[in-house]
Amino acid sequence: MTPREIIENALNENRNKLLEHEAFEVAKYYGIPTPTAVLVRTPEEAYDLADKIGYPIVLKIVSPDITHKSDVGGVKLGLKSKEEVSEGVKEILKNVQNRAPDAKIVGVIMYKMAPPGLEVIVGGVRDDVFGSVVMFGLGGIFVEVLRDVSFRVSPVSMEDALEMISEIKSSKILSGFRGQPPADKEAIADIIVKTSKLLMENQEIESIDLNPVIVYPQGALAVDVRIILKRGNK
Amino acid sequence: MNSEKITKFFQPESVAIIGATPKEEKVGKAILENFISKFKGRIYPVNPQYDEVLGLKCYKSIKDLPEPPDLAVIAIPAPLVPSALKELGEKGCKSVVIISGGFRETGTPEGIRLENELVKISKEYDIRVIGPNCIGIFDNWSGVDTFFTAKMRKPPRGHVGFISQSGAFATALMDWMAYHGIGVSRAISYGNKIDVDDVDLLEFLGADDKTKVILMYIEGLREGRGKLFIETAGKVACRKPVVVYKAGKTTRGGRAASSHTAAMAGDYSVYRAAFKQAGIIEAESFDEMMDIVRIFLDQPLMKGNRVFIVTDAGGVGVMLTDALTSEGFDVPVTPRDLREKLRNILPPHCIVENPIDLTGDTDDERYIRVLELLAKRDDVDAIAVVALPQIPGLKGTFIDYLGDLKRECDKPLVALTIGSEVSMKTAEKLREKGITVFESPERLAKALKALRNYSLYVIKHMVD
Repeated sequence: MTPREIIENALNENRNKLLEHEAFEVAKYYGIPTPTAVLVRTPEEAYDLADKIGYPIVLKIVSPDITHKSDVGGVKLGLKSKEEVSEGVKEILKNVQNRAPDAKIVGVIMYKMAPPGLEVIVGGVRDDVFGSVVMFGLGGIFVEVLRDVSFRVSPVSMEDALEMISEIKSSKILSGFRGQPPADKEAIADIIVKTSKLLMENQEIESIDLNPVIVYPQGALAVDVRIILKRGNK
Repeated sequence: MNSEKITKFFQPESVAIIGATPKEEKVGKAILENFISKFKGRIYPVNPQYDEVLGLKCYKSIKDLPEPPDLAVIAIPAPLVPSALKELGEKGCKSVVIISGGFRETGTPEGIRLENELVKISKEYDIRVIGPNCIGIFDNWSGVDTFFTAKMRKPPRGHVGFISQSGAFATALMDWMAYHGIGVSRAISYGNKIDVDDVDLLEFLGADDKTKVILMYIEGLREGRGKLFIETAGKVACRKPVVVYKAGKTTRGGRAASSHTAAMAGDYSVYRAAFKQAGIIEAESFDEMMDIVRIFLDQPLMKGNRVFIVTDAGGVGVMLTDALTSEGFDVPVTPRDLREKLRNILPPHCIVENPIDLTGDTDDERYIRVLELLAKRDDVDAIAVVALPQIPGLKGTFIDYLGDLKRECDKPLVALTIGSEVSMKTAEKLREKGITVFESPERLAKALKALRNYSLYVIKHMVD
């Protein structure tokens, strides 16, 4: 499905938040690197696809009615075989049925767990005055406590995006810190530019968070994508 | 947004003043007096109660005016404003300043209704409107002056253009600039901005050859105008510096829930980014704002990052080095060839390392000889002169020399002086020579940084 179809579909169903697999698909359409993810509905389906995805595998419940997935037992991390994966799906479905019996279940999303790396956030939001705006920051306390982030009004060029990255106070951490190799700033900048484009071309989107984006010495991966639509579009 | 250009506001040949009156302490009197004393065009007071006001023929109604005025100023109670605006539209007037308050800013349904009516009428007749609820225009070159604040001193003619969302602040700032002798080209306070806003005024002052520096006081732009604001400011900034003071810097709480990014995107952080993208220089305090305006008025672009300091006080030289370094400037080690030359001209107890310390027994001659050397060098991008005037040997001839140097030198020349009357006097003389003077090392460093940032923007866009 194209981003347009995904968004229209969500609005038709009266949802203002895209489901995980939908958000991944929209991001992927714009060339933002995301893990290969599939949506399964049964343990058997998961069993058959696990080898192809590769290990370790992450499972998460997909439901428009559940915001805090871990609270209802809807998340499994680090599964290492197809047996574990099919068992995991079974457990998740059971947990959710017990703890959130009224929630509508779309399925379980499964994808290969990304190797650890430096976590950053790329985001976008629609501002009343300036229109689409993008944000960059380092993950965890850097954003939440220190509010060490940078913004630009779209459209942003590669040069703007690189400037955003070097502008935050903690940007030295990206250049290699305590023996860590330097992070791939070009890869982050590329994601910022694409996020800006995504936001500009889809006026129904109110905000997007790629949180975290895991950055490696080469490349970066957006492992969680959250897309919120404007209310009152339909 | 109405389509007519806004130049008529600033160069009208005729003006109608709706609500002109001979009554003391009335806005309509103060405005009429302003026009009578400075405006060279035709003036038409309008007020049904008089045949004559302050010696001018007064018209009973707008319909009776002998011609459509280029500009109309409305200063009558809010409920009467819509019909006056309509009559002006019918008469063919295209530029109207509405001074009157009592509209949306009151928050009352009646105020909002009246304002909506103004919007409708202005669209219907394609009238450009400044205001309502504003003090309008102070134009030092054309004599258009609706600033009715009689106790305000008016600044001399000059080259600072000022756009203000706040009328009271505009008044206070004009008064302050008058007191400090800073010249103003045109100042505009747009109040509720139902039509003419920051973008229009920025574009106008950008093209105005009387304006060399644009200063803006912004609380918030109108919805959806942000991108055009960035685009317009970006173009203007290539020609002249735009300095902004943004008020209302606290974050908007309401949006926090929906996402991380939205929670971080308080109004201010996005404005900051926008200013940066547009090449706008942001001042973070009142002091900084005026320091920046002054440095832009007098100094050329700063082409590199290296500052050399000449001082008669070692301690202040170190303070200034710290302040400049924290702003990201290089205060480089004196190059070998320069060090040798300085050794040859200075007594042995002077310090030739940057900051170059002429010490407390210096005379004017030492300053002059060192400045002469520095001004010629390509590896010096700005010169900061620390001149504490309390020492006995300084007579002040170095100030005249700086004045001569200023005319030939293509680098910023700034000075720092601290003290009582003797220091104020030195500062005044230096300013007369076009040297920008500061009273604290930190303020000097911040203002120079603004000049450097602006220079980088201009240099980058000249290449593009």
